[in-house]
Amino acid sequence: MDINVYLLAGLIVSLFVILYLVANLLRVRQQLSFINEALKDLKDGNLNRRVLTQKNDMTRQICYDINEIAITSQSRLIQQKQAEQAYKRLMTSLSHDVKTPLASLVGYLEAIESGFVEGAEKDEYIHVAFEKANRLKEFVATLFEWVKLDAGEQIYHFSVFDINELTRNVVAEWVPILESADMEYNIDIPEKECPVRADLNAYTRILNNLLQNVLTHSGADHLTLGIEDEAHRVKIMVADNGRGISSSDLPHIFERMYQGDHSRSVKGNGLGLSIAKELVTAHKGTITAASVPGTETTFTVLLPKAL
Amino acid sequence: MNDFMIETTQLTKMYGGQKAVNCVDLHVRKGRVYGLLGRNGAGKTTIMKMILGLTPITSGEVSVFGQNIKGREKRVYPRIGAIIETPGFYPNLTGTENLEIFARLRGTAAPNAVKDALEIVGLPYKDKKLFSKYSLGMKQRLGIANAILHDPELLILDEPTNGLDPIGIAEMREFIRKLSVEHGKTILLSSHILSEIAVLADEIGIIDHGVLLEETSMAELEKKNSKYILLEVSNVPKATLILERQFGLKDYSVQGDQTLRIYDTALDMAAVNKALVMQNIAVASSQLCNDTLEDYFKKITGGEGIA
Repeated sequence: MDINVYLLAGLIVSLFVILYLVANLLRVRQQLSFINEALKDLKDGNLNRRVLTQKNDMTRQICYDINEIAITSQSRLIQQKQAEQAYKRLMTSLSHDVKTPLASLVGYLEAIESGFVEGAEKDEYIHVAFEKANRLKEFVATLFEWVKLDAGEQIYHFSVFDINELTRNVVAEWVPILESADMEYNIDIPEKECPVRADLNAYTRILNNLLQNVLTHSGADHLTLGIEDEAHRVKIMVADNGRGISSSDLPHIFERMYQGDHSRSVKGNGLGLSIAKELVTAHKGTITAASVPGTETTFTVLLPKAL
Repeated sequence: MNDFMIETTQLTKMYGGQKAVNCVDLHVRKGRVYGLLGRNGAGKTTIMKMILGLTPITSGEVSVFGQNIKGREKRVYPRIGAIIETPGFYPNLTGTENLEIFARLRGTAAPNAVKDALEIVGLPYKDKKLFSKYSLGMKQRLGIANAILHDPELLILDEPTNGLDPIGIAEMREFIRKLSVEHGKTILLSSHILSEIAVLADEIGIIDHGVLLEETSMAELEKKNSKYILLEVSNVPKATLILERQFGLKDYSVQGDQTLRIYDTALDMAAVNKALVMQNIAVASSQLCNDTLEDYFKKITGGEGIA
């Protein structure tokens, strides 16, 4: 009698165990079919496909790993595609940026050679042609500099400098330029030493490009340069009161060849800010821009301090 | 084999005797941002709801990921993330708790899905604040976090910037751009604001009174939207010389061997043509391109405009 009860209980328990196992088996089988389908999709190149998994799923870790592999390959692929696109854009704008001054240069030279102009006018034509040729030469040089940076071939020589002293030296050379351009300025650099690991040439270039950018593009009549010493980093700000940058342009200004006004202005080559950004990144720093058009546009460089 | 993520054929929805959506053939390409533009009540939300199976289809077909959705709902919907109108969250739970419920319902693609999704939209993880105490912007963000919780391939966002303040709108745009550019997601979004679609979308579908009037790419539209004079001449260098010397023009670019783009559209073209012909330069064509997007939409919608 007693034995029968135990037998019955045992039977019921094992029945439940079997049911539980079968249910589990079915669940895993279904999940495996999901995984199978997703893997097929991934194999066909759809790297956005993910396998979803539940909390008590036996295949949980496998699913997460598949997803991680897919995400990694996807982001690598996207990076590659972006680089390709950027290169294509570069080539098109490059062809325009070289073609335009070159055509104009040929126009001037043709006029001189065919005897279309004479005397003082001819001299002026030669002068203009010479200037155009020089500008073209500068543009090509800048372009090569940028390509070198972009390809990661630039070699830096980092050592510790007092960033305040360094900035003062660079700005000193700009003072006559600013004055001749009727640009008022306000320069606020602390006296206290602030050590930063930097490449001398690269840092100079960053400042030069930011200042040049204000001069050629902003149309401002007041410029502010300030340095703030923060706990672990130093903040270098270049601000102007010029026409500013619209919020739709703001995210793109550090992209190569991006020129805000959508027309190809005669001045500038669309590389200055892009170069500055590459250089700041090489210093493990960041560069950002904020703008209230017509009131104030500020470029902020943050560099880590050498401690 | 095509690469459409969403394709609808003759999709129609009747409400009573009224056709809310009338024979719509929509095509959303893989990896693109598709903007559905139309006034309030044009049928945008209804189309999205039909794609997501939230409202029955009167007639026509929807295929997602290249396959008809009928009978495959269970396999298809986990691969889509969506916000349609206000998402249904529990007001008496926190944001994190709400997402954890959805994570359990749908399954996850990565171990820290909830934390990651919140981080992406800029909401705090394990915050004590109840959903009912959230601001509109925070609610919208939580909606997005919920939509991307399972890392879906396809996102369907109905008026994603509705009710956000200007900063929120800028953030949301940046965020959508990132999902598309950096993560390769396909996005279908709707808006009644032309400028909104113009900054976000790669492709655009214009819908009016339930009818899809036009499907086109933004790149195509932008070509129509720029302002310049296209000049086709026999001798480009000589032409640039005349433009520079006689008309003081600086804002132009050389496009090809025979074409010039002049960005100063106020230029007196009759005088330019005359001057060029006088110098033995044949002018094959000169045309002013200055259609604006608004003009274009007025034309499409039969004069009423969109926004």
